[in-house]
Amino acid sequence: MIELIDVTKVYRVGTHEVFALKNVNLRIEKGEFVAVMGPSGSGKSTLLYLIGCLDKPTSGRVLIDGLDTSKLSDRELTELRREKIGFIFQQYYLIPTLTALENVELPMVFKGIPRAERERRAEELLSIVGLWEKKDRKPNELSGGEQQRVAIARALANEPSILLCDEPTGNLDSKSGEVVMETIKRLNEDKGVTVVLVTHNPIVANYAHRIIKIRDGVIC
Amino acid sequence: MLIELALRNLARTKVRSTLAMIGIVIGVMAISAIGIFGESLKAVVLENFKDLANEVIITPSYTHGYSSIDERTVQKIEKLPYSSEVIPVKSSSTLIRFKDKRTYVKVYGMEIDKIRNLFKLEKGSYRGCLIGGRIADFFKLRVGSKIEISDEKFRIGGILREEARFDINPNFALIISIRDFDRVFGGDYKIVIVRVKDLDKIDEFKEAVERTINRRDKVVSVFEMKTIIERIESAFAKVTTFLMAIASVSLLVAGISILNIMLISTMERIREIGLMRAIGAYRETILKIFLTEALILGLIGSVVGGVLSFVSGYIIDLLILKTTKYVFQLSSLAYVFIGISFGIATALISALYPAWKASRLEPIEALRYE
Repeated sequence: MIELIDVTKVYRVGTHEVFALKNVNLRIEKGEFVAVMGPSGSGKSTLLYLIGCLDKPTSGRVLIDGLDTSKLSDRELTELRREKIGFIFQQYYLIPTLTALENVELPMVFKGIPRAERERRAEELLSIVGLWEKKDRKPNELSGGEQQRVAIARALANEPSILLCDEPTGNLDSKSGEVVMETIKRLNEDKGVTVVLVTHNPIVANYAHRIIKIRDGVIC
Repeated sequence: MLIELALRNLARTKVRSTLAMIGIVIGVMAISAIGIFGESLKAVVLENFKDLANEVIITPSYTHGYSSIDERTVQKIEKLPYSSEVIPVKSSSTLIRFKDKRTYVKVYGMEIDKIRNLFKLEKGSYRGCLIGGRIADFFKLRVGSKIEISDEKFRIGGILREEARFDINPNFALIISIRDFDRVFGGDYKIVIVRVKDLDKIDEFKEAVERTINRRDKVVSVFEMKTIIERIESAFAKVTTFLMAIASVSLLVAGISILNIMLISTMERIREIGLMRAIGAYRETILKIFLTEALILGLIGSVVGGVLSFVSGYIIDLLILKTTKYVFQLSSLAYVFIGISFGIATALISALYPAWKASRLEPIEALRYE
């Protein structure tokens, strides 16, 4: 379960302060599929990154499965991200020197899983996203949609309970976008993964159980 | 997989990595080759003195008013422990003549059977008068020629091989038997050369001299060759260190080049770093990735440089010393090892700051970097 209690995030730009989020209260249940919508600069990505423990709130608390993230050290936050959270970004962020399989293995390398075990699991995940036969290709040998599916497989490497998606179809054509969204939906339905998805796109948002609209750092 | 990742990152910027590596190769090669040369130079110089290390030279104590060593003192020296051989030497300067040429030379008198232990011959035998190579050249003397020493004729028995000693310079000297010397010049001994049985016993021998001969008055002074040789060694070590320090400037430049490419690499891969942090890499893991890359650069560059230093050491030795027999001695290997260690250390130290900087990046800022 994800819980945001009175969360405010302020960015300092030069001498003045910009409120990215203002006193946000939000609760996302385990297994929910939530879409966060809002115009550019509304604070939706900030919300996602706070949930993903990539950033810390200026005030308020973010609780992941009841754990207050503001009280955790950098190392503990890293471990939390590694164990519980999978990220999918608009730009995929695959490591260009590694093959599809190795990219999927990477989070398991950081966790210290033995080679044989992580290779087996990475192949399994690539099969789930339908890319097993392209496991030895480098990112630049894959299409945008395929790269994003590799990124999804990578996000699932350490069996996270939460999947955070930042405009996952933003760089894809509608057909590839659909494949990606179907994959995410299936993961939510079959494996009970909690999905929080940030998007502009109402078609993408419609995959969710619940749509949260955000404007000027406030949930409407 | 981190090593794999580091290797591929280096391969990604092949030209840049190769150039940085060449810097390390040159630096290590310069340091090690100079080390090898310095060591060879020292070996060449010391080779001439290697037999002298266990010799002790006893001279009259001039500062206490003694200008020679008398027979009784020599007998006392002969009875001292730890010595394996005692060679008393008399000396004088005199005018010698051959045909119409004449020159002043140093004449040494010593027991014939002991001469062979000190000097080797170029030609002839140890019978009769022995003459230094340079004087033989000057007079165009041969074995069997007769020269005049203080109005007395001597037959040249042998010509001495050129040699370097600190006490007696045979190249410009004449050596005759003690009996002949006493007949022509007379007088007491000027120097006593003592060979000590064991290098470790030199100090004990010196103490014995002080206790027995210099007990009442300081009659003789004792010099050990070991000290002189040690001083030569230490002087060469200093010169070699100085030259290596100059050579290490090239390694410093290589270090700066690594620092530079690592900083560029950090900026280029900033979002990759952010991603790795987001999916569970600790700060130390990022640090390790960058240091591993530097270690690989340093390791390959240093080993190649180390191997090449033998080649350049060989060439330098051949050109300057005209001999290559000291290139592959154990102490040369030590310098190659030092060069390689310096190369690896330089690469690692240079990468510390970029690696630390990369590891301090906040994942969110790194991911958002444009």
